[in-house]
Amino acid sequence: MTTGKMAASITRTFGVLRNASCSSLKNSELVLDIRHPGPLFLPVRTKKRYFIPPAVGLKGKKEENPEVKARAAGIVFRQQYFERPINIACSAGVFDPYVPPEGDARLSSLSKEGLKQRTEQLRQSAASQLAIRKIKEHDSQFSTKTFAEQAQEIFIEAHDALTHFNKERLHSLVTERCYPEMTRGNRYKTIRWKFVESLEPPRVVHARCPDMVTKGNLYGQVTVRMHSKQTLAIYDRFGRLMLGSEEQPKDVLEYLVIERHLINPYSRWRLHGKIVPSWAPPKDPVIKTVAIPGPELKPWEEFDPLSYEVPKPAAVQWNK
Amino acid sequence: MLTFFAGVAFIRNIAGSLHSRLPTLGGASQQLSCLHTSISLNSKHWEKNNHKVYPPQLQDEPRRPAEVYHSRRQIKYSKDKMWYLAKMIRGMSIDEAIAQLEFNDKKGAKIMKEVLLEAQEMAVKNHNVEYKSNLYVAESFSGKGKYLKRIRYHGRGMFGIMDKVYCHYFVKLVEGVPPKPEQSTSFDQAKEYVQSLKNRTIIHSL
Repeated sequence: MTTGKMAASITRTFGVLRNASCSSLKNSELVLDIRHPGPLFLPVRTKKRYFIPPAVGLKGKKEENPEVKARAAGIVFRQQYFERPINIACSAGVFDPYVPPEGDARLSSLSKEGLKQRTEQLRQSAASQLAIRKIKEHDSQFSTKTFAEQAQEIFIEAHDALTHFNKERLHSLVTERCYPEMTRGNRYKTIRWKFVESLEPPRVVHARCPDMVTKGNLYGQVTVRMHSKQTLAIYDRFGRLMLGSEEQPKDVLEYLVIERHLINPYSRWRLHGKIVPSWAPPKDPVIKTVAIPGPELKPWEEFDPLSYEVPKPAAVQWNK
Repeated sequence: MLTFFAGVAFIRNIAGSLHSRLPTLGGASQQLSCLHTSISLNSKHWEKNNHKVYPPQLQDEPRRPAEVYHSRRQIKYSKDKMWYLAKMIRGMSIDEAIAQLEFNDKKGAKIMKEVLLEAQEMAVKNHNVEYKSNLYVAESFSGKGKYLKRIRYHGRGMFGIMDKVYCHYFVKLVEGVPPKPEQSTSFDQAKEYVQSLKNRTIIHSL
């Protein structure tokens, strides 16, 4: 009953509205012609100004598909692809990683023992020789002597691109697996990195040629050992120093893995990852204090800070 | 005749808007001068403040305090009621603010507390804030969200448009000790008043 009355009242009000608007229009039309050269015609019916809010949850609601309505209205939805993107340009990890010997950092290559160790290692590993032969089949210009320096150049260029955050250059110098590892969390930070000098000439230490999925799909992975001096300083979003220092250079011994998709003639040698040996010294701590999660206690137990030992991570070789 | 009241109000509004609109139809220059160059309704500007990167500081400069911006949109609560809570926690340290909101009986207090805790966690994780208690509420205010409109039925066939009210809540946390508001004694205030009277310049006098 009330809705009927309301409907009647609405129509009556709108009828009145229309008359009023018509009358006001006629007056304003005359005004227009005299003062401004406005448009020659005005719409006969004025714009609908009343607002009826949408009816909510009426009893006995019919389920209409919003999709059908949208299609009828003319909205076209793009086809949704439920696919997971796979990257073929690089392999997923480091295959058969090189295990660097314990005393690698301490013995210098100038001493007799060091020299012996260095020269014997690469010839001994047969698998590496096989892999190098395979690489030379596909890439005729490959040679272990020149490749090490090339690798160092790639490394320096990649890190320069990281400091200036040049995405396109970085993608061409670093594989898709390595890119997120390098750039994670760095978007709102400023990185200042400098390569001071190389302490020892870089050497090729290890090579592998895994084939993925199909038999002929070859990827070449070469590990290069590099001993150099670098400075690294990371500043957070507000320009405060988070890690390292700009003036103090540090000696760094690194094992870089460089990869190339050998079958693709347009592929390039790109940085794929780093190998961190198990005997590597711990890195410098971050400048801020971090809370380590404590032991899980039952409700009746108390935490005793004196007797609690902070658990140290196991010394395992891992690939960065 | 009673039904006319609503109708008359409508007519007046519409006629008024028509009259105000029509003179601008001819003048194109008038339209150009009222061009909006600011941001539109859909852009979330408050969150974009978190993406601002400052250049590295030199050794001599004082350490810049970290700022974290956080907000929650479309909270089912009134913006005016939310304002009372927002005004309450302005200038408090974050621990104090969370404690006060936890024991406040209002509906908005629970939501605000969640927002503050989220912001604190974000600050520690993403924005390199060292101590999570070392934050204070620098800015906190509420804004109007997008309302839903429904019909509210009155007697005699009259109706009103009922607004289902939503609000946004914005908060900015800054690292450091909360600044103390200046408290001047009554004697100091009197002295300032007398000084302002003495500072008056008298023009056109001998």
